[in-house]
Amino acid sequence: MNHRRDGILRGEGLRRLSPPPARLKAGPVVVIECVESIPCNPCVQACPKGAIIIEGDINNTPTVDYDKCNGCGLCISACPGLAIFVVDASRSDGVGVVVLPYEYAPLPEKGEIVSALNREGEAVCDALVVRVINTKALDRTPLVSIEVPVEHVMAVRHFRRRGDRS
Amino acid sequence: MRLTQHPILEFDRGREIEFEFDGRKLLGFEGESIAAALHANGIRVFRESIKRKRPRGFFCAIGRCSSCLMTVDGIPNIMTCVTPLKEDMKVETQRGKGAILLTESFSPGSRPTEARRGAKDVATVSLAIVGAGPAGLSAAAYAGRMGVETIVIDENDVPGGQLIKQTHMFFGSREHYAQIRGIDIGDELIANLSGLPVKLMLGTTVLGLYPDRTLSLLANRRHIELRADAVILATGASENMLAFENCDLPGVYGAGAVQTLMNVHGVVPGKRVLMVGAGNIGLIVAYQLLQAGVDVAAVIDAAPEVGGYHVHAAKIRRAGVPILTSHTVQRVTGPDRVESAEICRVDDHWQPVPGSERTLSVDTVCLAVGLTPNCELAFQMGCRETYVAELGGPVAAHDPDLETSISGVFIAGDASGIEEASTAMIEGRLAGLAAAELLCREVDREELKRLRSEATSSLKTLRAGPFGATAREGKRKMFKVGS
Amino acid sequence: MKDDVIICRCEDVSYGEIVEAIDSGLTTLEELKRVLRTGMGPCQGRTCSRLIARIITERIGGEVADMKPLLDRPPTMPVEIGILAGASDED
Repeated sequence: MNHRRDGILRGEGLRRLSPPPARLKAGPVVVIECVESIPCNPCVQACPKGAIIIEGDINNTPTVDYDKCNGCGLCISACPGLAIFVVDASRSDGVGVVVLPYEYAPLPEKGEIVSALNREGEAVCDALVVRVINTKALDRTPLVSIEVPVEHVMAVRHFRRRGDRS
Repeated sequence: MRLTQHPILEFDRGREIEFEFDGRKLLGFEGESIAAALHANGIRVFRESIKRKRPRGFFCAIGRCSSCLMTVDGIPNIMTCVTPLKEDMKVETQRGKGAILLTESFSPGSRPTEARRGAKDVATVSLAIVGAGPAGLSAAAYAGRMGVETIVIDENDVPGGQLIKQTHMFFGSREHYAQIRGIDIGDELIANLSGLPVKLMLGTTVLGLYPDRTLSLLANRRHIELRADAVILATGASENMLAFENCDLPGVYGAGAVQTLMNVHGVVPGKRVLMVGAGNIGLIVAYQLLQAGVDVAAVIDAAPEVGGYHVHAAKIRRAGVPILTSHTVQRVTGPDRVESAEICRVDDHWQPVPGSERTLSVDTVCLAVGLTPNCELAFQMGCRETYVAELGGPVAAHDPDLETSISGVFIAGDASGIEEASTAMIEGRLAGLAAAELLCREVDREELKRLRSEATSSLKTLRAGPFGATAREGKRKMFKVGS
Repeated sequence: MKDDVIICRCEDVSYGEIVEAIDSGLTTLEELKRVLRTGMGPCQGRTCSRLIARIITERIGGEVADMKPLLDRPPTMPVEIGILAGASDED
């Protein structure tokens, strides 16, 4: 099914925006889930490494130079569509990290166990909150890092706090 | 229910005061709308309709419809959605049309005395801009910087138009205020006016616009006549209504009304909402509802595809909200407020599919089914009208400079065709420049030319992608017909 | 659509009443307004005009684009006659 039918990216569309497997294993890296031509480019300016490129017209979708991206995550809160994530599948202990934008209140606490959700809002696994950043520079789009089993880093895109309504 | 925490907004509420509703003492905050105060107290039925005595409540939140009319301090037909709450106000459910007040100072047969008559204020200005939203404020900044003496009129007490409810970041690039939240863009647009010959006239309604460019204004219960050499109409748009069984029941609200209640007054519209419309407005408001802690049962749209940006859809999908395309709402039920909504699938011809009905337990249905440009002032004064479906219906015909069929009268922003706030700002700049060219004898032509070409190319960029196709086609048709 | 669906909420006019009026030969927004008062209430047709235009085309054919809209006249908002006449609250 096309993402325009129900708002879910899947199949080939999803594969196309995944970093190459070797890059995923090499360290934290950005995943930009921006697939439509809309006039927008703050991600390009947010990247200090020049790793995000929009060629020509600002209506073109961004591409990532994965050799330049170091997974710093400065682009995440710059994206008006909240479509940028950083994933880390490089650890050897089977634990992966997903850094995601989280514009809800209250924020989770570091050390909290939350329910990790996929693109359809379905619970995938439990996740451990390992970092919460909410600086002024992020302008009310806080970043939350959660640990999930490494095989889920490309599936988990949100989380629900325990006790929050489903 | 009032919001106590919000990820984006802080609510600067006034003093807590007592007021009366049908004899009951209630608490509210000074200056919030009467409708918001009642809603916060769980009251949804504001009046009885005039013939059928049907319950009616809050609906448009911008003083445009008749749903929220109540009797306040003895005066009937008060639009409670735009009337600020005051201490000890007596608010009563209005039944029927409301009785005419016969007071000592105005009784049948009495006439206003000479002293009370003819107190009409008359003012003149070079440029009058109607609407202090993104288009109007941008027009004022550009006309102002070219040296045009300008007054911006808005019926709200706070400038910014719809921007004051937009908690999300805007798209675009730096020049289009990208990555800045709508609520903050309004402040920037106001700051841009400092040092310019621009005055804001807030809390002022334009009652009429006449062919000689005279505006009839209502401010503080006084009638003012304003004569302008040029007029820019930046009056925005009104929400479309959808007809279904019991669509007039309290709990069926426009998306803009829900935003006003939630993001301006900090009052949630209900506990569980059905959103009708998966365009950008429906998707964004659904997300804002989630941010306010409100459950969204589903977002439905009769079209077979999501109309808005995928990134907006993705935000609510990953939070667990289903988006049901090819679905419509058939009826809502409840004795005097929405308690459930029945939805069903529609086929390729937009007809309901029998057997596909489903009932959702919701207390609010939010309508985001499109907008119609507000062109009534242009039509009142006789501007030529053109129907362009791609622009949202009947619009005042205009040329690429946004000038209507009447010289010196311009129209910009959603009023000239439904688009995004980012395009409205650029259209406002263009209209401001065109007005300056018309009004100033000693205008800096080079600067004007430069600013105009900058704005024109910006507009072209914003409309270039697939989501700009409708507006592009609409404007093409419009300019082909000519103003 | 069911007959009792309210189309004009200001004047409490239902779908059934509008259809009946159209079938009796009233086929423009202005004609319907004069007989049913649709568009004469406080909202001046802002809420219902679009819906009624569609109902007309569904009953008798034609395009909404070709339909003559309601005439816009001042005042845009209900206003007390005393205010228009220049009376003020202070004196």
